[in-house]
Amino acid sequence: MTSTEKTKGSRTGLSSGRKELKEIIETCDSISERKFNPFFLDVKLGVETLRQYFPFWETFEDHCLDAHTINRLSEVVRLQNTQLKFQSSALYVDPEFVTRKVERMSEKKLAEVFLQSWHPVTELEQLTNGAVADALDYWNLLLPIEERWKRREYSQGNRPETTDSDTLTGLGIRGKEFGEQLIGLWNDLRQLYSVEKRPIDYWKFVKGASYQETVQRAYYVSFLVTYGYAKLQPDGDQMVLVPNDEPSEKTASGTVSFPIPIPRGS
Amino acid sequence: MHLLLFRRGKIPGAREWEFKEKVGKNYEQVLAQLNELLSELDLEIKKVTEPRSEEMTTEGGRASLEEARYFVALKGTLGVKEAKMIGWRIDNLAALSASVAYLVSKQGKAAREDLEKLLAQKFGRWKAITLVDIFLRTGYLEEDDAGTMSLGWRTRSEIDLRALMTKMAEAKV
Repeated sequence: MTSTEKTKGSRTGLSSGRKELKEIIETCDSISERKFNPFFLDVKLGVETLRQYFPFWETFEDHCLDAHTINRLSEVVRLQNTQLKFQSSALYVDPEFVTRKVERMSEKKLAEVFLQSWHPVTELEQLTNGAVADALDYWNLLLPIEERWKRREYSQGNRPETTDSDTLTGLGIRGKEFGEQLIGLWNDLRQLYSVEKRPIDYWKFVKGASYQETVQRAYYVSFLVTYGYAKLQPDGDQMVLVPNDEPSEKTASGTVSFPIPIPRGS
Repeated sequence: MHLLLFRRGKIPGAREWEFKEKVGKNYEQVLAQLNELLSELDLEIKKVTEPRSEEMTTEGGRASLEEARYFVALKGTLGVKEAKMIGWRIDNLAALSASVAYLVSKQGKAAREDLEKLLAQKFGRWKAITLVDIFLRTGYLEEDDAGTMSLGWRTRSEIDLRALMTKMAEAKV
């Protein structure tokens, strides 16, 4: 083998080695997050892989990657040990068995089983300094009852009457299907994104010719975000929209409800 | 008694060092006497350690003394009617039962998605999400940044896991 071939072989080994180690780390992380059984990974094979690629490492980062892989593999060995201990304990029940039981047992039966093993903690509720301070703040800010009643204006409302199709279209009750409207707005957002090549400012996108239209667009945008057609992200003081190429059906973890008030002047 | 019954922080009960400080070195004897008195009221003092869930065994794991906490808990158990009277719904209890049993079978940890999927089969998707949130808020479950669910302090304090799993296995469908 010539020195050029040796260098080429070393290069291939280096890149494939890095790739394999990263894959091992990912698998170990998934096991730590309880996505797989700890015995899913063949630790011996992992160690052999490390040994195989060790002569190829060149940089400090390569050695760090090697050390990190050893660390993750040792964590998997620890989890395997824990699992064996757990399986030999009285608490061990096959997860599949529990799933089948839960599916087939009635709600009442499940509750009864729980109640037979439940010993609720007893405690007395009390006032704390913080709670008293909060209550005082609330009381001081509270308007007299007459003032609060004044704010509510009651009316009998109008009696039901007939209307024409233009009014219904204007109110958004009749017209395009909801899904069509949503897809239309999604296409607008994608088009704007492809032109500007950067996230689109939320207010710029929802702003319509009138307040009614702005509210309507904001309403549809909320569904675009909820259904995974777009992402709403903070960008400094602003909020920006980024369209997805395909609607992601999976709900992102840590999703929160985020109300956005629309001022009258919008 | 005040230390045990009046909540001062987020979690009721008192830690071991608090008893050492307020009652003295022989606090264990004092607690044993108090336990005798409380047993007449169907209550008992429970010592709960905070083991790492990976190390969950029948012994409940080992923890340092600082981590031990004492609570007053019901010695016996409640019936369905009593549970309803203290504000629990049957479906919420059933979901809690299923969640805890599932997590125990997975060695105390499982992905939130998997747990929600299990509950959704019985209670529907939206209710499953709401129920998991309720159990997190009340301390029966805990969630880390990666979305991994584990048993919360309240489960460790209130639920006899061995009894739950035995009853679950024995229950006729």
